[in-house]
Order: sequence, then C-alpha cells, then structure tokens
Amino acid sequence: MRRGAIVALVSIALVVAAVTTAIAYFVDWLPEQASEERQGIDLVFWVTVAICIFFFAIVASVSIYAAVKFRVRPDDESDGAPIHGHTGIEIVWTLVPTICVVVIAVLSAIVLAQNDKPKGDPLRVDVLAQQFAWQFTYPEEGEVRATNLYLPVDRSTRLVISARDVLHSFWVPEFGQKQDAVPGIVTTLIVTPTKTGDYRLICTELCGQGHALMRTRAIVLSQPEFARWLREQQQGPAEPPPGGEVDAQGTFVQTCGGCHELEQAGTSGQIGPSLNELALDPADVEEQIRKGGGGMPAFENDLSEAQIEALVQYLVGDDA
Amino acid sequence: MSHVTGTSVHVETGHGHGPPPRARHWALRAGWVRAAWMTGFFFLLGLGIVVFFRWLGGYDPTLDWEPVIVVAGLTMAPLGFLAGLGGFDYWVSYALGSPTRPEDHSGHGAYTWRDYFRVNTDHKVIGIQYVSSTVFFFLAGGLMAMLVRAELARPETEFFDTQTYNELFSVHASLMIFLFIIPAFAGLANYVLPLMIGAPDMAFPRLNALSFWLLPIAGIMLLASFFFPGVGAGWTNYPPLSTEQPFGNVFFSMAVQWAGASSIMTALNFLVTIITMRAPGMTFWRMPLLVWANFTTSLLVVIATPFIAGSQFFVMFDKVMHTNFFDPGENGYALGYQHIFWFYSHPAVYIMMLPGFGIASEVISTFSRKPIFGYRLMALSLMAILVLGFSVWAHHMFVSGMATYLRVPMMVTTLLIAIPTGIKVFSWLATLWEGRLHFSAPMLWALGFVSMFVIGGLSGVMLGAVPIDIHVSDTYFIVAHIHYVLLGGSLFTIFAGIYYWFPKMTGRMYNERLAKIHFWLTLVSFNATFFPMHLIGVQGMPRRVATYEPQFGDWNLFISLSSFVLGASFMIFVYNVIVSWKSGPPAPANPWRGMTIEWLVSSPPPVFNFDEVPQVVGNPYEYGVKGARHAILNGDRAAAELEPVRST
Repeated sequence: MRRGAIVALVSIALVVAAVTTAIAYFVDWLPEQASEERQGIDLVFWVTVAICIFFFAIVASVSIYAAVKFRVRPDDESDGAPIHGHTGIEIVWTLVPTICVVVIAVLSAIVLAQNDKPKGDPLRVDVLAQQFAWQFTYPEEGEVRATNLYLPVDRSTRLVISARDVLHSFWVPEFGQKQDAVPGIVTTLIVTPTKTGDYRLICTELCGQGHALMRTRAIVLSQPEFARWLREQQQGPAEPPPGGEVDAQGTFVQTCGGCHELEQAGTSGQIGPSLNELALDPADVEEQIRKGGGGMPAFENDLSEAQIEALVQYLVGDDA
Repeated sequence: MSHVTGTSVHVETGHGHGPPPRARHWALRAGWVRAAWMTGFFFLLGLGIVVFFRWLGGYDPTLDWEPVIVVAGLTMAPLGFLAGLGGFDYWVSYALGSPTRPEDHSGHGAYTWRDYFRVNTDHKVIGIQYVSSTVFFFLAGGLMAMLVRAELARPETEFFDTQTYNELFSVHASLMIFLFIIPAFAGLANYVLPLMIGAPDMAFPRLNALSFWLLPIAGIMLLASFFFPGVGAGWTNYPPLSTEQPFGNVFFSMAVQWAGASSIMTALNFLVTIITMRAPGMTFWRMPLLVWANFTTSLLVVIATPFIAGSQFFVMFDKVMHTNFFDPGENGYALGYQHIFWFYSHPAVYIMMLPGFGIASEVISTFSRKPIFGYRLMALSLMAILVLGFSVWAHHMFVSGMATYLRVPMMVTTLLIAIPTGIKVFSWLATLWEGRLHFSAPMLWALGFVSMFVIGGLSGVMLGAVPIDIHVSDTYFIVAHIHYVLLGGSLFTIFAGIYYWFPKMTGRMYNERLAKIHFWLTLVSFNATFFPMHLIGVQGMPRRVATYEPQFGDWNLFISLSSFVLGASFMIFVYNVIVSWKSGPPAPANPWRGMTIEWLVSSPPPVFNFDEVPQVVGNPYEYGVKGARHAILNGDRAAAELEPVRST
C-alpha cells in the first residue's frame, strides 16, 4: 500500500474517531448514576463504546477513502486488480476482534459476578408485580407494605420479585439493574443505592393495556430517615380497624387512578372506563372491585374489607 | 444439448406431452372461482365437524364460535382455498390413480398478467409473485409503523386506545418479519438462484408454487386480526399475557403456522435444488456467495422454524384446548415458552441476514469490478454463523429470570458471532480496495447496508455484554438496534437485490435517478429516525408504550417526523417500479457486466432458462483476470447473441 494511502486512511479514521468520541462524550447518554451496580454497568458500557468507536473508525475510513479514491466514470469499462485475498490480513482481522470480544466478555463476567453479590447484610424487600401496580413488602421489618419503593442509601437491598398475573419487569434507570417478574417463579435482584433521591421505577416488560402506566417511585433515603420511615409505618395503622376511617379518595388515587378517570379525585387514567359519567350500582361496583373482569384485575386480596366498602361508598355514595 | 449430470432433471423446451387435460366445467377448473366456493365449502365442513362433535358430546352451546374460528376459519378454509386454486391437483390425481404427466409444464411461464394469479410452477413467476406480494405486506406493515409513530409523537395518548396500539406494533413486527423480510429474500432467491446454478427450475416446482400461496393466507390472517382483537402481546407473544389476550390471538398463532410452513417448504426446495441441480462444473467452491448464503439460510430455516411453530401451537392449545403448557397457576412453566421461542427466533435473525449478505457480496463484487476478497472465508463464515447461531438464543433472556449460570456462556457465544460477521464486513471493504467503483443504485444500497449494518452490529456487541444488556433490555435501545439490523441490514439488501435484478426479472431498466433519490432519502431519514432511539433508550424510555414521560417528548416528535419522511421515501420506489416495469427502456441481457450465470441469458430469461446446460469453468467473481469465465454456453457463444425465446 502506498504511503499516501496510509496517511489518508489514518487521518480519516482519526477524524471519525474524534467526531464519534465527541458525540459519546458531550451528549448526556446515561441517566444519573445512583447505585453501585450502575458503576460496573457504566464501566462495561464505556469500554465497549470505545472498542466500537475503534472499529467504526476503521470501517468508515476505508469506505470513505475507497468511495472517493476508487470511484470511476460510468463509461469506464476497466476492471480492478484481481486480488483474491491475503492470508496475513485475514488472520489479523480474525484475531483482533477475537481479542476485543474476549476483553469485553471477561470484564462483563467480572462486573456481573460483582453485581449479583450484595455488599454486607442486605435489606430484604419483596416485590409483587401485578397488572398494573407494584407492591413492596419489608418482611424483616414487620411486614411493612408500600406502593413506593423506599430504600436506605449505601446499603445493599435484595429484591425478591414475584408476579401475580403476567410477566413484568423491574427497572430503575438510575440503578441500572433490571429483572423480570415471572409468575410461578421467584427472581432476585441486588441494588445498592449510592445517592438519596426520588427515581422512576418502571415496568419494562409488556404486561397489557396499562403497561405504560405501571410506574411508581423508588425513593432513596438517608439511613436515619429510612429508619424513621420504617418506624412510622410499623406504628401507623397498616390495616385500619373495621369501621374506622379509611381515606377513600387516597385509596382510589393510589389503587384505581392509574386506570380510571375521575374528576372528583383528580385522576386521568385511560385504561379502564371513565367513572365520571357512569351510573353505578353499588353491588356491581363491589363485585367488580373484588373479582375484576373485563381486563381489570381482582382487588379482593389487596384491599381490606373497610377499604373496599369505603371505595364503593366513595364511588356511588352520592347517587345512592 | 450438452451432457446433463445424472442428478439434473431433463430439460424440456416445449410444453408437456401426453393428452390434453379433460375439459372441465368452469366452476370445477382450478382457479379463483373454484377457490371461492371451495373456501366456503371447507369452512362449512369445519363448522360441521365442530358442531357435530359438540352435539355428540352434549356440550353447551353446540355452536361455539371460538373452536369454529380455529378449525373452520383458520385451518379448513385456507386448505379449501389452496385446493380450489389448484395447489394440490397433481398430487390428488396421482393419489387417486388418475393419469398424470410427470413432465407437465403447462403451469410454467407467464404470458399475461393473469398468469401471476394462478398456481404457477415457474420459479421466475413465483419469484415475482413473492417479491410483489411481500412489497404489498411491507407497505401495510409500514403504514402501521406510521400510525405507531403518530401516536408516539406526543407523550399523551392521541389516537388509539392502548389495546389497538399494542396490536398495531405487534402486527407491524409480525408482517415485517414473517411476510416481508423472510419471504422477500426467498422470492429473490427463487428467481435468481436456479439461474445462478444453471438449473432449469427449482427441484420441486409444484411444492414451490404451493409454498408461495401459503403466504397470502398468513398475511390476510394477520391483517384480519384487527377485526378479532387479541394480537396485542407483541410479535414475541409471551405467555401468560398472550394466553390472556382476547380470542383473536389465535390469528397470530395460526398465521405463524402458515408462514412457517411456507418457509420450511421453500428451504427444503432450495437445499435439494442446490445440492442436486448445479450445472456441470459447479463445485461448492465455485458457487456464487448468494447460493452459499441461501444454502446456510435454508439449513437454519429447516432446523429452527419447527420450534416457533411448536411454541405458537402450545400458546393456542393453552387458549383453545385448555392445556397448561405455560399457565403457572396450573403447573405450567412461563419461561419455557421463551426458550422455545428464541431457539427459533434468534436463528431467525440470521435467516433475515444471511441472504442479504449473499446479495451484498454479488453486488459489491460486480460494481467494484473485483473478485470478492477471501471467497472461501466468506463462505466459511456463513457456516460459522449458522452453527454459532444456535447457541446464543438465551441472550434475549438475560433479565428473564432463567438460570443465572446460563448468562456468561451465552454471552461468550454471542460475542463470538461478531468474529465471522466482522470477517464478512472487512472482506467487503477489502473488495472495494483498488476496485473500479460504479455507484449505481444497487451498489449504493449495498454500501448503505454495510455501513448501517456495522452500526447495528456494534450495538449488538454492546447488547451481548450482559451488564449493558441488563440496563437497556426492553428499552428503545433495543428498538434502535433491531431496526439498524433489520431495516439498515435486511431491507437495504432487499432493495439492493431488487434494483440489481430488476432488469433481469422484468426485462426493463428502472429509472436510475429516482432510485438514487430513493436511496439518499431513505438513508438520511432512516438515521434520523432510529439513531436518537439509542439515546432515549439508554436514558430510560421503555419500548411498547403508547404514553411516556414528557422528558422524551422532543426527541419523539423529531423521530416521528423523520419516520414520516422515511415512509414517504418508499413511495418513490413504488412509483419507479410500476412505471419502469410498464415503460422502462428494454434491458440488455447483462446490464452490469456481471459474471454469474443469470447474466448469460436474456432479460427476462426464456421459460426454461437455458436452451442448453451451461458449463461452469471457473470461479464466479474473476473480474480483472484475463480471459477468465465463470460459465459458458455451448463453447464460445456469447449471451448477447442469444435470441429472446420468451415469445414462443
């Protein structure tokens, strides 16, 4: 190969590499990093991107150079040099990618092994996914239940994930870790938050009509704040006594509002029918809440008797 | 006629011998009239079977529409349609002991447009039937993509309820995969592969005709699913969501059976054709790479496709027959589906890539005026992808909850596939080196394919690394990746192939200027549509949602607008093809100065391809080698001197 060609190739490759590196560097690609596991993920991400930029620059420089240099007029009927191959160069472009993928594989395997292991004594949280809501239980902390995921910072959490109906998937982009919830089996996921904050927790496995709305928050608290939150939950009326005051509107917003529109409660869900205009019969409403049907899940096991009663009252009380 | 190898079939230059077929009443003749009444008749037969057995067993209600739709609508009626059209006539006559004519070629050739709408046994007619109908389904699938993008232009729901939205993207993917990419490649190969190996037709022409006619059945079922809601669980159709879908989900399950059967039959046909019908002198190491590519693809299809057929049968049985393959409440195993499904659907990715590799090799070599670089390694890397392709399926399941120890081995095999794929890309680039490059439309599409496929391949390497995959699984990063591979990869090579062989297939030249505008418009709008998806995916936008967080609104609006330009760019193609086919300038036998055998015969080729069996005397890409020929027809007679035989 002529010297000029090599110079041209290398310069084009450097320009392409510089441009792609700038795109990688200046665009804000990854969301905020808020877990130890994300540090490993980000490391693999950027190492792989660097290798990809290397290969992309080679491919781009050869194609651009060839397209400019070897282009001929349409009426040129000559043929190119009858080069059939070159064993040496074929060995090189087999070996170099092999080395690169081995590097990626080894690094990935190490990070994966680290991310599968909790650091220290993990907090256990049971995650129950169902159409179209998340429920978090803290079994070692007095069966505290929540619909947002509260976590202490700088302590590993072992999420024990199950699904009630169809596949779902747990993901907090800032944590990086993701795990499907599979009906019939239990899966686990380790998350070690490193920053306090309020993050999106989203379902990423298509789970039906309300899939896009199956969202809640992952709230990372400082350790004292988390302890205080736990205490409040343990002391508070986890299950209100029968006949006691139930926040019907609050229950509606949290349980039903994702799917149903109701002006009075300020919800705008579009999955189920709007409850603004419907003339409702109390018995039907109760049956629907308990047993579900028509795409709506059953809530018999998730709501207390008092909550169901309060909801029925809340929805049809005015007309009855 | 020169010597024919023992395995080649006897070449006939005229129509069949023997007595003419008995004149039948017009309603009994194979054709659309008989197809219409037989479809209805078989539907009633299916309905009768269901009603009879329900009545016999005392089930209530006797007339239950769900089993009726599966048995009568999705199974019996299509069989009646095929029988009526004449798909089984020869075999039925043979089975009944009626006189048959093994060398009957009356089904060959197309003399009027009507000949494209019957059971035609000519591989060239079948090739055109395939390509035209797959382009139709491509436009239908593309229209659905436009609707999906219209919905996604703003974060809130705009046009569709979520079930309709879910059905739109599910049917979009199913049409593009099962009714466009896979059969479009089968169609192109159907046309050119027998010509390239010097064969008069495919090994089993009647089977070939039947394979084609299964396709419209599958396509119509997928389109009809909008009237029977239920194909809303994605093209992956994961249970238990799929088994909980409304009843219309069986339309997907059955469409996959018909399309899959079509694929398998075509693949068997290719295998037998390639193994037994090569012209004398054509050893495996003298086969053009398109033939190699279809050889490996056909092996993939034959081995893998039964798995998706099985997986969809299981889903349908769970739904209709109340079996419990995947229902965890009844001791079913939901994850089992994913293993079976991806055991097909990962090789399916290569089913959708390898024929395109073949097309790219043909085009790049011809338009670079150079031998393909490292021919043998190119063929061997196809075989390597074939073998490795069966060992990587679980990389779709890194977050699925499968046994965790499976992840690292599956990651290693996945990353290893980058090596043979890399060899192919580097060899294409090396083929350009010191070449004489002609940037005609096929070459533009082929080079566009190489560059887009490199981006899709590199994001594939990223996805192969488990930690990255865990973060971006089921996000728009995946959507970007598959579209770089399947649109930038498969679709670009399909266009390269259509433009490359358009003169051969139609006997007309297409409009070069329009073809180039089509390419540049598609290339730019394609990148504008799909590149930003990498970004919003990594940042946290999940796939398969109709509504999303407002922070992604600006990018999605940009993506949607770009996608409308992308959609419009294909209208240029449709216009170009229709106008050129009708009134383009006549094409010479060899407009690209190619060396492979299809360019030795007229455009379009005579009904039986060759008046004499070609002799293969050298390698297929000996550009620049003085005096080298790939094949010769009767010594030194040049193709240009052959008289067109079409008008016989």
